[in-house]
Amino acid sequence: MSIATATATTATTAATVGPSPAAATSKRTRAWLVLLLAGIFEVGYALAVGGSQGFTVLPWSIVAVVFFLLTLLALSISLRTIDVGIGYAVWAGIGAVGAALLGPVFFPETLTLGKAAWLALIIGGVVWLKLSDRPTAESTER
Amino acid sequence: MHWLYLAIAVVFEVAVAVSAGKAQGFTRLGWSVATLVSGGIATYVLSLALITFEVGVGYAIWTSAAGVGIVFLGALFFGQRLDWRKLLGIAAVIAGVVGLQLTGTA
Repeated sequence: MSIATATATTATTAATVGPSPAAATSKRTRAWLVLLLAGIFEVGYALAVGGSQGFTVLPWSIVAVVFFLLTLLALSISLRTIDVGIGYAVWAGIGAVGAALLGPVFFPETLTLGKAAWLALIIGGVVWLKLSDRPTAESTER
Repeated sequence: MHWLYLAIAVVFEVAVAVSAGKAQGFTRLGWSVATLVSGGIATYVLSLALITFEVGVGYAIWTSAAGVGIVFLGALFFGQRLDWRKLLGIAAVIAGVVGLQLTGTA
């Protein structure tokens, strides 16, 4: 990129900074995509931690550490825009449902109807809990 | 033994939530380090529990129990109200864990 183009880009960016509704919408969309990504990373984290067998299997252990950092990073970025209670609920929900569904794909596990029902109650319970755990006015101040 | 590992992992996961909140998007160094350290310990102990637990079952119980722990902590030390909605969520989590155990899947 030439210096002239770079300057022009900076000028455009500077012009769009401020209370533009379009920019706010795209920021929210991006935050939700990052949150979705954080949920997917969390599924990978759960599966890898399980596969690591107490961190004795090297490949799974490395994958677990990488996903651990990725999920924390993505979650913290998305929570700058998305409400903490809603963000945590979606993230935990994706992680737990994904781990339950994909566990049998990667490991010698089975997901019976009964097990799925109890898991749904647990996961539904924690998602509900996070949604009703509204932060107080004090804790939302930045 | 795997229930003990899971319980220890839950305690450290609650510590992760508390320190991650204080780290404010990883802008405060001390709390960011605390988040990573407690997350590392929680992860390792969880991996020990998951040697016995199936991944889907162990992970769901772990993350949900931590969620319950965070709500209790908020009510005990941070003055947050424990209303009927939260109690309903906690009851669902407990019922689910008991159900899994009674059916012999946890």
